[in-house]
Amino acid sequence: MLPLAELQAQIAHAVVSGDCERAAAALAGGADPARRLAVHARHFVTSLTGALREKFPATTWLLGTDLVAAAAHAYVRARPPHRPCIAEYGADFPAFLGEFDGTRTPPYASAFAALEWAVGRASIAVAAPSLAWSDVARLGAQGLLDATLELQPGLEYLRFAWAVDELMKMYLSGCEAETFVLRETDTCIEVRGSRGSLALTRLDPATFTFRAALREGQTIGAAASAALDSAAAFDAGAALRELVHAGLAIAVARAPRGSGS
Amino acid sequence: MDAERNRLDGKAGVGLRLPHLEEVVSRAPAAAWLEAHPENFLANPHARELLLDVAAHYPVSLHTMGLSIGSADGVDREHLARLRRLCDDVDPVLVSGHLAWSTHRGLYLNDLLPLPYDEETLGIVAVHLDQVQQALGRPYLVENPASYVRFAASTMSEVQFLAELVDRTGCRLLCDVSNAYVSAANLGYDAYAYIDAFPADAVAELHLGGFTPEPDGGGPGEELLIDTHAGRIAAPVWALYAHALRRFGARPTLIEWDNRLSTFAALHAEAEHADGVAAGVLGEIVPHAAAR
Repeated sequence: MLPLAELQAQIAHAVVSGDCERAAAALAGGADPARRLAVHARHFVTSLTGALREKFPATTWLLGTDLVAAAAHAYVRARPPHRPCIAEYGADFPAFLGEFDGTRTPPYASAFAALEWAVGRASIAVAAPSLAWSDVARLGAQGLLDATLELQPGLEYLRFAWAVDELMKMYLSGCEAETFVLRETDTCIEVRGSRGSLALTRLDPATFTFRAALREGQTIGAAASAALDSAAAFDAGAALRELVHAGLAIAVARAPRGSGS
Repeated sequence: MDAERNRLDGKAGVGLRLPHLEEVVSRAPAAAWLEAHPENFLANPHARELLLDVAAHYPVSLHTMGLSIGSADGVDREHLARLRRLCDDVDPVLVSGHLAWSTHRGLYLNDLLPLPYDEETLGIVAVHLDQVQQALGRPYLVENPASYVRFAASTMSEVQFLAELVDRTGCRLLCDVSNAYVSAANLGYDAYAYIDAFPADAVAELHLGGFTPEPDGGGPGEELLIDTHAGRIAAPVWALYAHALRRFGARPTLIEWDNRLSTFAALHAEAEHADGVAAGVLGEIVPHAAAR
């Protein structure tokens, strides 16, 4: 018999590809062991495509079951999971969907699915106690420039060329308009969620840049600088106060010297 | 381990699945104990928070789906560390997983795949079990799989393999009575003889779950039993469960129902039925405790 590692390589290939003939040579059971091994290959596909359908119900509503199911089936075989927690599987499904069958997939499909992924992640987050303005102000003006902020875990910042947030709000409300025109426009979205609750907020580009840079771990000074590049009239002090008063910040730390961005 | 088993008092619990989580937290329905799959909670902070609430009021066991102790590549150390942290938070009464593998070279295959039963596999699984038990700081229960195929070159039976694992690692066993029934039907051996040969002293828990027959393709009327956990326990499995209780004595039993999920009350009714079977077999009334 082959060493265990080689047997498992053959079976893993069979499970992912669906071609069970070669791996079944080492097996017994029933009249056709390959057919029985195919039970595992079938479960691999059906369980993971089912998990993707559960994560992307809005995308399925928008694009139709056939298209999303076909894309999910192809995705599972092309990009199988690498971690045992299936809640973490599917982060790059929106990008995959955008490249899948271009004749059937509309140009905003990937953006809408990416927003849905972010909505799903935010809704299972758990908000932490937020900072008071006094916690931040005690660092002083210069100290703040070199400080970093940790934001709430249920925050996501996304920027798209389509106003997919309007479409998502319509889906989430359950009120489908008779006609809906999806506008092609620069759209900056903040997704905020905790313990099943959710809010989608449209941000101006400078505020979005500021908050997204903080989310990435940039210092307040670097984030303000990036926002000023977006809009010369950006008021970093006001933006910082608004962010803290909204309860978005949960920790502040002085950045190590020399790590300005 | 005996203290943990006694804490569950040989009663039947039910699998806690995400759709029932909020109901269990808010209504605290009667259940002797609950079993959770860690993989449903490790990457879901809100569900994890609710699970900790549940664990404050019910005995909870953790039943891993992705530890892959049979993988030739080794156990995923990061996953094991996450499981350890969850165990620290939940303080489960039992921790269990499968005699199977599900990872290969960084891929997670989302299924419980079969192993050949020979010296090489025994050595590999024993090393992994030592790692798991050391990392978790507690005994790990190994569950017999539901099988559709076997390896033609296996050199020992499944129960011989499990007995060797117990001897080498000190692990305990989870006897899934439904899996024993399904595997015996699919591979053509006697399920009762399998239970009779099972290392009884090492059994710390029993599982019961529904299966689904489908055509096997071997000929008219031939069926393959699929371990779907998608319905009630079948009558012949209840009979085998009674036989297992006569052989093993009272053991905490878990009703698994994962697909086509019914109401929590329906799952609890299956647990009550298991308690009734146990009462009949063991000649005593096994009380079904309220949750709080």
